[in-house]
Amino acid sequence: MTKTIVVTSGKGGVGKTTTSASIATGLARRGFKTVVIDFDVGLRNLDLIMGCERRVVYDLVNLVNQESSLHQTLIKDKRLDNLYILPASQTRDKDALTIEGIARVMHKLKKAEFDYIICDSPAGIEKGAKMALYFADEAVVTTNPEVSSVRDSDRILGILQSESKRSKMNEDPVKEHLLITRYNPSRVKDGQMLSVDDIVDLLAIPLLGIIPESPSVLESSNAGKPVILDEESAAGQAYSDAIDRLLGEAKPHRFMEVQKKGILSRLFG
Amino acid sequence: MPSDKRVELKGGMYTFMSLKIGVADVDIVDESLADKVQQAPGFFADTPIVVDLTPLDEDPDTRDALDGSALMACIRKHKLVPMVAATGDKSSPLAKAVEVPLIEGGAARRPTAEDVPKTSAADAANNTRPTNEPVSSSEVEYIIRPPMLIDRPVRSGQQIYARDTDLIIIGQVGPGAEVIADNNIHVYGPLRGRALCGVSGNRSTRIFCQSLEAELVSVAGNYRMLETIPEELRGKPAKIALDNERLNIEPL
Ligand SMILES: Nc1ncnc2c1ncn2[C@@H]1O[C@H](COP(=O)(O)OP(=O)(O)OP(=O)(O)O)[C@@H](O)[C@H]1O
Ligand SMILES: [Mg+2]
Repeated sequence: MTKTIVVTSGKGGVGKTTTSASIATGLARRGFKTVVIDFDVGLRNLDLIMGCERRVVYDLVNLVNQESSLHQTLIKDKRLDNLYILPASQTRDKDALTIEGIARVMHKLKKAEFDYIICDSPAGIEKGAKMALYFADEAVVTTNPEVSSVRDSDRILGILQSESKRSKMNEDPVKEHLLITRYNPSRVKDGQMLSVDDIVDLLAIPLLGIIPESPSVLESSNAGKPVILDEESAAGQAYSDAIDRLLGEAKPHRFMEVQKKGILSRLFG
Repeated sequence: MPSDKRVELKGGMYTFMSLKIGVADVDIVDESLADKVQQAPGFFADTPIVVDLTPLDEDPDTRDALDGSALMACIRKHKLVPMVAATGDKSSPLAKAVEVPLIEGGAARRPTAEDVPKTSAADAANNTRPTNEPVSSSEVEYIIRPPMLIDRPVRSGQQIYARDTDLIIIGQVGPGAEVIADNNIHVYGPLRGRALCGVSGNRSTRIFCQSLEAELVSVAGNYRMLETIPEELRGKPAKIALDNERLNIEPL
């Protein structure tokens, strides 16, 4: 059975693409045949983070318009055999997508026996975001510890409940997961950011993970390598934990406390 | 051949807000609408409505002196979206001027809060009142409806409306969400958005919540914003009721 997971947020720049890349990579590493789709038509970011931008020939819009085949359009990941990237178009705009067209693509991916389809949503609550979440079985709601981001996540949860295919067809509701990203415990302590408890209380959905703010995220993106592959970094470990929880394992949450700096990091910052 | 589900034509019942026009004067309608909309900003924005012109049928002369297109312009100005007009006389000059499809209205109507004699002097605002009767309702008996039960959080941007009944929410009402009822509202969770009870005029309705953090609470159009709610009542269980013209908030 193919599972479709949307990574969504409402607010922009909170870490959806970073998360989509790491979740897809993490699932593939655990043996699942996975494809990650960039729904951010017009911007195209995912292929950069996955490090496959130079191999993009066809894109989601071509596939939706039946100008290319699935085989031609999917890009095979250079590190993992069972991971594929479906890039967005840089030249077309969001109106190039239709629900019918995406339904055809989803059907083809299911026939190709993918275990997971990860949908990287564009920001906002408009058509593009609604397309990305329409076919979702599960949703990873990506939230930064700020009031505006939490508010937008609440909004997107409402849209998941009313405008997803599952809600329209009266099926079981989309399974919701909260992923708090760019969490900075010392700024929470200063009262500059909302705490995990505040956010969980405000959104009232199960917590999938807390990804700390970490410079390794940007370093990994620049290197075209999802941060989950950086096993040294706190962000990479936090994404790994989140994958385990997504697969049903109970794991205590980490990275919520201010780290006591060791003598070395105190000296070298 | 399987039936074509892409396009289906069938009868259905939908609930629409109806705007009852009880006075043949666009200026008064304008004023009272401004008043209503201001009491619950956002609640009425882009709401499709049925314009109920039947009260005007009682006096055809004043009715026909009313400028239909000015009336519709006024309604649209307040961000309501008139879809159809209900009238007892489809051939009247007013009916011809309203520029929306007409439906037959009038005859029997069921008693509502407005049929209760008013103790206070009727003000201009009472001349238009959004009500939610089915337009061609022929029910005469008062019907007791079961409450509307929502057992999940109400999210920012969502609006829940319990017509002619109580609204019970098990879960929170998020900031930017709106819960509305003709009767009482019960929130078993934090109330962080807006709650408006008695919206069709029932002044004896109340709001109950487990944690009062609301952006706005309103009973029969009398509202208070969070800023005016005393600090010591916030974040605690509360009941909100109307005491004369004043909105009373008390700990539960
Ligand atoms: N945990 C983190 N620590 C530090 N920086 C992060 C973290 N997560 C994301 N970022 C940075 O935040 C920026 C936005 O991330 P990303 O592109 O993943 O967000 P997005 O939600 O997909 O944005 P958009 O809405 O534009 O699609 C990037 O510069 C990324 O490197
Ligand atoms: Mg993105």
